[in-house]
Amino acid sequence: MTASPAKGHAPSAPQNGKGAFAPLFRFRGKAGSAVEAVVGILAALLVVGLWELAARLNLIAPQFLPSPFEVVAAGWRMLTTQSLLYHAGVSTARVWSAFLLAAAMAIPIGILMSSYRIVGAALEPMVDFIRYLPVPALVPLSIIWFGVGESTKIFLLWLGTFFQLVLMVADDMRRVPNEYVEVARTVGANSRQVMIDVALRSMGPSLVDNLRITLGWCWTYLIIAEIVASNSGIGFVIWSARRFVKTPEVMAGVVVIGIIGLITDQLLRALHRRMFRYL
Amino acid sequence: MSYLRFQAITKRFDTVEVIQPTSIDIERGELVVFLGPSGCGKTTLMRMVGGLDDPSTGQILLDGEVVTTPDRRRGMVFQSYSSFPWLTVAENIAYGMRYRTDLTPAEKAERTAHYLSLVGLRDFAASYPNRISGGMRQRVAIARTLAAGSDVLLMDEPFGALDALTRERLQVQLREIHRREAKTIIFVTHDVEEAVFLADRIIVFSARPARVLADVNVTQLLGADRHLDIRETREFFDLRNQVLHMIRHETEAA
Repeated sequence: MTASPAKGHAPSAPQNGKGAFAPLFRFRGKAGSAVEAVVGILAALLVVGLWELAARLNLIAPQFLPSPFEVVAAGWRMLTTQSLLYHAGVSTARVWSAFLLAAAMAIPIGILMSSYRIVGAALEPMVDFIRYLPVPALVPLSIIWFGVGESTKIFLLWLGTFFQLVLMVADDMRRVPNEYVEVARTVGANSRQVMIDVALRSMGPSLVDNLRITLGWCWTYLIIAEIVASNSGIGFVIWSARRFVKTPEVMAGVVVIGIIGLITDQLLRALHRRMFRYL
Repeated sequence: MSYLRFQAITKRFDTVEVIQPTSIDIERGELVVFLGPSGCGKTTLMRMVGGLDDPSTGQILLDGEVVTTPDRRRGMVFQSYSSFPWLTVAENIAYGMRYRTDLTPAEKAERTAHYLSLVGLRDFAASYPNRISGGMRQRVAIARTLAAGSDVLLMDEPFGALDALTRERLQVQLREIHRREAKTIIFVTHDVEEAVFLADRIIVFSARPARVLADVNVTQLLGADRHLDIRETREFFDLRNQVLHMIRHETEAA
């Protein structure tokens, strides 16, 4: 861990406020990360402000578009009296178990698919076919097979991610430069050592990126699974609120998913930076 | 018997003939440049020594043994992707010894330090390859193969992507390393000037399918000591033109 003081232009930004923001308006100008964060937050506040304004002026009926304030209030109510945290926890646990299952299967199978043509030639047509099946279309089948318990949800999420991920992993593996493999072999590495010391290291950054993207998809399929068959989780919360046209609660539920997604994504990005410092 | 023998080698890819029957003998410690038009098959011939390509017929003998698979006695230096981006300069050099069980960790560390300074990268030991110049990256790759204990260095246009000045400097350094370490080197290039400056001996190849056009003993004509000044001598100039004509004729024929 080498210390990197004064990264970017962040520290100088507050002193010469005007100067720091000037590059933002220049063609292909570069701005410090703090300045960019300020712009991002301001833009978001502007959108929320417009939304608040639209609601206050009754431009749109409140049962369709409640004000941001009401959504926050609904969120607080759900958090304190309707065990929102429990539901968020249940959903997160489902997403992660399905995601880890899919990853644990897709990484070795994907690597084998592009390393040995026998595996690739056998699996590629099948994977390509299943990959195009829309997950919602398989909900009825999944319920017949697994009932309405946890296994249905895990199965649907796995279905939506595994077949995509396995092809992405195969592609990451294919992109490992042949030169790396040959360098390893000419210093005496056997196949296993080439795989662990070189191929996995070389594909690491894109693999972790692909895992992060796939995790995002899991949330999409989760909500479908929870809406169709569940009595817990955020999808269930949103769907039950809809039945009573509690629009603020529906929106609060959606916002919670967004927040969880944002936090997870940032954590994984930070992990990526830590793991691959050399980039 | 010669140290490294190409014995009646041919190569076909499907029905395309890439290399016509070729036999070459190389002595221990020679710096041999394979020169020829792009895509003529010279790289394929060199890769066969590394055990990375198989001849269709014929065989390669190193020190009397038939070459079949890669091993650390025959190290490769590529034009690009020559060092691992996830390892520091020192780790990249040490990687050459990673699978050697005959060295203790202390010996490995000592050899790493030795080759690190041999290629002048001591100050960059802890840097990652994407933080150093292309010329430095190629020196890392050379140090790695030396650290691995390779007797034969196989270099596939290693300086091809570098600017003229860096290239010149590395050519001088390679001659120097060759003199000090007494390794056998096969250096593939299509740059005539580079070939004449570096080589003890140039094997000139025809356009595809490759066949040996000429075998030029450069050391006999220019001597073994090469300084940059040699490029301005009459002898260098004449030899360069002579070789250039052979190649030019081939490129037109192809």
